[in-house]
Amino acid sequence: MANVEAEALDFEPEEDDLMDEDVGDGSPNRATAPRLKSAITGGGSAPKKTKGRGFRDEAAAEADRNARMSASFDSLDSEGGPGPERSIEGWIILVTGVHEEAQEEDLQNAFGDFGEIKNLNLNLDRRTGFVKGYALIEFEKFEEAQRAISEMDGTELLTQIMHVDWAFSKGPFRRRNTRRRSPRGHRSRSPRRRF
Amino acid sequence: MADGVDDGEFYLRYYVGHKGKFGHEFLEFEFRPDGKLRYANNSNYKNDTMIRKEIFLTPSVLKECRRIVADSEIMKEDDNNWPEPDRVGRQELEIVMGNEHISFTTSKIGSLMDVQTSKDPEGLRIFYYLVQDLKCFVFSLISLHFKIKPI
Repeated sequence: MANVEAEALDFEPEEDDLMDEDVGDGSPNRATAPRLKSAITGGGSAPKKTKGRGFRDEAAAEADRNARMSASFDSLDSEGGPGPERSIEGWIILVTGVHEEAQEEDLQNAFGDFGEIKNLNLNLDRRTGFVKGYALIEFEKFEEAQRAISEMDGTELLTQIMHVDWAFSKGPFRRRNTRRRSPRGHRSRSPRRRF
Repeated sequence: MADGVDDGEFYLRYYVGHKGKFGHEFLEFEFRPDGKLRYANNSNYKNDTMIRKEIFLTPSVLKECRRIVADSEIMKEDDNNWPEPDRVGRQELEIVMGNEHISFTTSKIGSLMDVQTSKDPEGLRIFYYLVQDLKCFVFSLISLHFKIKPI
């Protein structure tokens, strides 16, 4: 791997640790406290327009927040990396672009051919009572979910185009235009190995 | 489609809580730009303990969250006339979308009555419903993935 470019192996700990997960010293006023805002707002992109009382300097609220976020969160064991992630008893897909008058029955009819639907969440808009626009569907088997995605993505339901994709991923995704920095900073590469 | 829906950074954090007889009871969730969803629910009521879950979401899910936020038009609002957090409780909503970053704080909202009698009923109503829609979304994601009932 001696010829691999630095960028391909880019590991950006700052981006993955927007809120510091390791409780180092436990002190609420760690240097990481302001990092959240700078990591989100100052990540190499143009400065953001800010608005709201949350930007008032409130040490107590920030200390509280850091204490809440700096702990370990449970997750299902995962190998990490890209690709869909299995949920506790099956595979969950997200359908978007669902027509506001769609009913569960419509989704059962559209997706039921791929396998038994173990769970279907078709949430409503809390203000209007119409369908919010998305549905979460669980299949027991990977192949069933995969076929549902391949065959239904881009198709119509009640005259409206739906998109279908996996809901959960094994790892983080990277956006092309985020700040990219070699962990080496400005140091030169290690000398090539000589065999 | 509203501004900033498909491009630029996206981050969202919501918190509601209070400190009282049963400790610091709160609900908080966070959609991070790398796709990670973190969810925490804490109460010491009847010696209950904290629930903390996290899972990576696909870009499709994040995109849907952005759409929900954009459709609500919350980014156009301001919290300067909303009730301040108080002893009864506190809500925080922080969103980065495109080149805008909002961070609103207010008290707990018991019902639409509280919204209608406030100094900014229009804005607070948008906040009120957006929070409900986001909670629905997050509870569905978390309970389906972990097969727990988060409330």
